[in-house]
Amino acid sequence: MAIDSKSQISPSSNWSKKNKIKEALWGYFLISPNFLIILLFTIIPVFFSFYMSLTDWNILSAPSFIGLENYQNILKDALAKETFLNTFYFTVVSVPINVIFTLILAILLNQKIKGITFFRTAYYLPVISASVAVSLMFMWILANNGLLNQMLESIGIEPIRWLTNPKIALNSVIGVTVWKGLGLNMIIFLAALQDIPKELLEAAAIDGANRIQQFFKITIPLISPIIFFVTITGVIGSFQSFDLVYNMTKGGPGHATTVIGYYIWKQAFDYMHMGYGAALAYIVFIAILVLTIIQWVLRKRWVYSEE
Amino acid sequence: MSPKQTNSRLEIVQGQIIKTIAVTFLVFGAITMIIPFLWSVITSLKSAENVFSHSAFWIQFPPDFSAYKQIWARIPLLTYAGNTLKVALLVTFGQLATSSLAGFAFARIKFPGRDKLFFFYIATMMVPGMVLLIPNFVVMKNLGAINTHWALILSAVGSAFGTFLMRQFFLSFPSELEDAAKLDGCNPFMFYWHILLPNSKPILTTLGLMAFQGIWNDFQWPLIVLNSASKRTLQLGLSYLMSEYYTDWTLLMAGAILTLLPIILLFFAVQKYFVQSFKFTGLKG
Repeated sequence: MAIDSKSQISPSSNWSKKNKIKEALWGYFLISPNFLIILLFTIIPVFFSFYMSLTDWNILSAPSFIGLENYQNILKDALAKETFLNTFYFTVVSVPINVIFTLILAILLNQKIKGITFFRTAYYLPVISASVAVSLMFMWILANNGLLNQMLESIGIEPIRWLTNPKIALNSVIGVTVWKGLGLNMIIFLAALQDIPKELLEAAAIDGANRIQQFFKITIPLISPIIFFVTITGVIGSFQSFDLVYNMTKGGPGHATTVIGYYIWKQAFDYMHMGYGAALAYIVFIAILVLTIIQWVLRKRWVYSEE
Repeated sequence: MSPKQTNSRLEIVQGQIIKTIAVTFLVFGAITMIIPFLWSVITSLKSAENVFSHSAFWIQFPPDFSAYKQIWARIPLLTYAGNTLKVALLVTFGQLATSSLAGFAFARIKFPGRDKLFFFYIATMMVPGMVLLIPNFVVMKNLGAINTHWALILSAVGSAFGTFLMRQFFLSFPSELEDAAKLDGCNPFMFYWHILLPNSKPILTTLGLMAFQGIWNDFQWPLIVLNSASKRTLQLGLSYLMSEYYTDWTLLMAGAILTLLPIILLFFAVQKYFVQSFKFTGLKG
């Protein structure tokens, strides 16, 4: 990434050297509006959310403290188990497909081809499009008499119930998720590929390495931190997916497409089980936190090993 | 023919083959990206009775614009657009103001605890939005902001990511600028306002676009905090349209196209900044 979080300490500023207190006050004053918002809507909620997860709370009456009961109930909740399995499937299918496709696309776009602006624009369009509109477009494409089934029919394949067959629906949602997300990671990979010094590849070519060898011995190792980064952020994103499921399938048929992001919403805001929802969300939070920390630690190691 | 020449000719042929495969793959992918949009436009321009009576590949000519006329009577689209625009603009400018001020302080002003606080800021970026939905609903309820647009605005006018981005940018200005400003009698705010901000338009545009697009396309948070019909944003309105007029595909596609259009037009107008914002999205976590 272009931005390094541990970049240099700012140059020593020299506002009113005689009056450090005045300068410090300016600092606190200028930070305060932004800090208040972060405090109120991120920092306090993180802790408050944990407290909520220890309560039985339907928002209308006062919360009653029940200790770890919500967490114990999650272990017994068959639907929660199904939901976690769906989420796991969603993640292990969608993330690798996304990473492999976006890497291939970025490599292809990195060649000197005509019409590159057109290609890039085409791949960006789904990224900037709102998920509700995307859901609508795909509900029509995947409808029983929609575009996809009519295309299949014209080559003699039986129509498929893309969104109403419990064995297929989750795959359809995954497909739309991948379609929508390709352009984003593609641009991240493209930037990484363009950062690779040309001399390295040229030197390898002079030493007799062919394109495939160059790719696996030079390109892949150099962009491996980015591959890892994109994978982790993809996993985190898939843990939180909600919009497409809500609009396209409402978690159904049955619970076939109920992923954790949808189940948490359902528990907290449909059934008003705020405490239970908070407990589910906290489990996901811990999982994401662990992944993020692994990502940071390994990234640091990679950065050092490059030097 | 010397072996060297053969080699280079082989390489040229090899290059040509790779390029052909690349273009084929890219064209196929691009078609996959564009067809859903195209198919939506084609459907929205059919007469309702022709949607099921003809094959999917049939294009109605001359097109029938009645879906685009009807939709205004089915849902108050203009109200939804107004709500969305109001919230998006307030959040965008609010976020630019608070983030650039905080970023400036982190980058150019010395105060005790600054670097620790900044590290803490970075850490808050790791908190996934999903964890905040439930507690923030309670916070908004206590503030009396549920079912008002304040619920959408308040939580979004401050941004750790925006602060981080602005700080990194402000660090790149040479300290001589600061010395000169001080000699001219500037206080920190004047330096920020007269010197840093006018020279930060690209980064402000990128950050502003991210905020604007994020609010415009946001669905889950408005779904949670808004319940009266008159307060709905475009995305909520479209989702409601879908549940009300299920299978009225010409109407639904017209709705999808109309809500997509502003962002797509904005995208074509300032594509460079959008691409920049994509590169930052991963960082936002």
